[in-house]
Amino acid sequence: MATGFLTDTTVCIGCKACEVACKQWNQLPADGYEFTGDSYDNTKQLSGDTWRHVAFIENPKKKRLTGDVDLVALAEDVKEDLPNGAELDGLGRWTFMSDVCKHCVEAPCQQACPTGAIIRNEFDNVYIQPDVCNGCGYCVPACPYGVITSVPEDGRAFKCTLCYDRQIDGLEPACAKACPTNSIMFGEVEELEKVAEERVKQLHDRGYPQAFLYGTPEVGGTGGIKGNHSKFILMDVPETYNLPENPFLPQDKVAGATVASAVAATMIGAAVVWAFRG
Amino acid sequence: MAEETKRNGKPETSHHPETDPERGDKNYYGIPPIKRAHWTWQIYVYFWVGGIGAGSHLLTVIGHLLGWRDEAFFRTTKYTTLATMTISPVLLIWDLGRPERFLNMLRIVKLRSPMSTGSWALSLFGSMSGLVATKRAAEDGLLLGDNFLSRLAKLVPDRLVSVLALPLGLYVGAYTGILLIATSVPMWARNWLLMGPTFLSSAVSSGLSWTSLVLHLGNWGEGKTLGALKKAEKIVLAVEAVLIAASLVRMGKWSKPLFSKKLGPLFVGGTLVGGIAAPLVLLSGKETRNKSILASVLVLVGGFLFRYVMVVGGRESADDPESYFTFAKKDGGRPEAGSK
Repeated sequence: MATGFLTDTTVCIGCKACEVACKQWNQLPADGYEFTGDSYDNTKQLSGDTWRHVAFIENPKKKRLTGDVDLVALAEDVKEDLPNGAELDGLGRWTFMSDVCKHCVEAPCQQACPTGAIIRNEFDNVYIQPDVCNGCGYCVPACPYGVITSVPEDGRAFKCTLCYDRQIDGLEPACAKACPTNSIMFGEVEELEKVAEERVKQLHDRGYPQAFLYGTPEVGGTGGIKGNHSKFILMDVPETYNLPENPFLPQDKVAGATVASAVAATMIGAAVVWAFRG
Repeated sequence: MAEETKRNGKPETSHHPETDPERGDKNYYGIPPIKRAHWTWQIYVYFWVGGIGAGSHLLTVIGHLLGWRDEAFFRTTKYTTLATMTISPVLLIWDLGRPERFLNMLRIVKLRSPMSTGSWALSLFGSMSGLVATKRAAEDGLLLGDNFLSRLAKLVPDRLVSVLALPLGLYVGAYTGILLIATSVPMWARNWLLMGPTFLSSAVSSGLSWTSLVLHLGNWGEGKTLGALKKAEKIVLAVEAVLIAASLVRMGKWSKPLFSKKLGPLFVGGTLVGGIAAPLVLLSGKETRNKSILASVLVLVGGFLFRYVMVVGGRESADDPESYFTFAKKDGGRPEAGSK
């Protein structure tokens, strides 16, 4: 049985309860008290100490409301002719997304790990054994989503465990438990895929043709990664959420690169032999 | 809309990349979508030192196979390999986040992880070349005369061991390149086919130059050896030049960090001109001792700078969202990805 997340960004309200619940349950320290000014996002990204991260994307429209506009009527979706041809979207909109480890089917971090510290546990989640990791840091540039990160104070690399400890006790992960809008859903991957399919179809029917599922072998979980166990329903191109559209499994090239190096070694060796014979 | 609020074609509504006229960042506030490696100076110094060791070992084996008799030559190559293979693990363990757990590298073999295969190759090659060098030390009387250790060391079948160690040694020279390509960093991953061969050619040219430098400085070595080294240096440098040129073509726009304000002068001046072109010119003219020494120093410095710009350039490449997003796009840098 494989478990995973489905994060439906369309119902996320940006409350950061997931971030807080994750930090509390996993006893993770703060990343510092930086004030970025980048919307309401002061965490910026996933890190070794931040395993859930809510992205705040502002969609301001190019047109600016001027004059006497009934904002209440606007918010209540009253269609009326607005001054200067302004549109309802002139108010701008928010897009939120609670980012997390993608728990890849073929995980680049796991394949990169030289100590075998990164394993797949009995829930088919990608899990770092903290007592084995020796902090070589090679998993960090291997991750196509920038999830796994070294913590300098500790030396080792950390990321979302999908609340391995809670799952063993039959509990859902802390972030999913805390999410007030059920934007974060936890369950069996196959079940979640059905939920996602239905939800995307529903969104299409409601007039949002841009909705799609990220983390499938077609989008996001591409290039040999074979999909992600934690998927996302997105409403914009992946790059808007700082996600790659078509990432790849870096280790797919190791065999070819090794053969190329062996050929080069033979040729360079032969050249040196020739020089030494001459 | 009032015109004065519109600067850079952007209406001023909030502090946001799309609307703030002061901001030029794209995507998600310009925050890198992937994380760079933490690797510090120990890593590129190791890439360089390890390469010299691998190149020197190749010379040891070729010398033995061709029945070379120049004792100074073998002393230089064997002790060089010993010294580099002693320094390399120290540098690598130093760079670990948890150095006391370095042995965990050897609790498992993972053929798809160059970090794993590299650790194994380094451990085995280091041990085997250490045996070869110990025998050499015993023959040179460096093990404090005729004692048990010295007699034991003389029993080492050094030719067999060094031949067996050759593939491992060459892998130590090449895997540093493969280590870089098996990541999501665009500049590295893009050049997956040629990175290993390029690092290997640089390892061999550095090994040749180091050996030539030591022999010239000590006024050791036979004329025949020095001539062969010079000839080999020229060929391998030419191979290296071709491989770097092909790599740059392959990297295309993702090679931008190599030509940045910070790295450009080091890469173009230090590696391409100083480390390859100038030594080739020096070695092609009439031979003098000083010219050979200068050429060797230039190759060694150029080889070090090559590794430095490759590692540091990878950091810049990882930090550039545009670079990664264009790379990880359908029909982007990896059109062949996933076709397996």
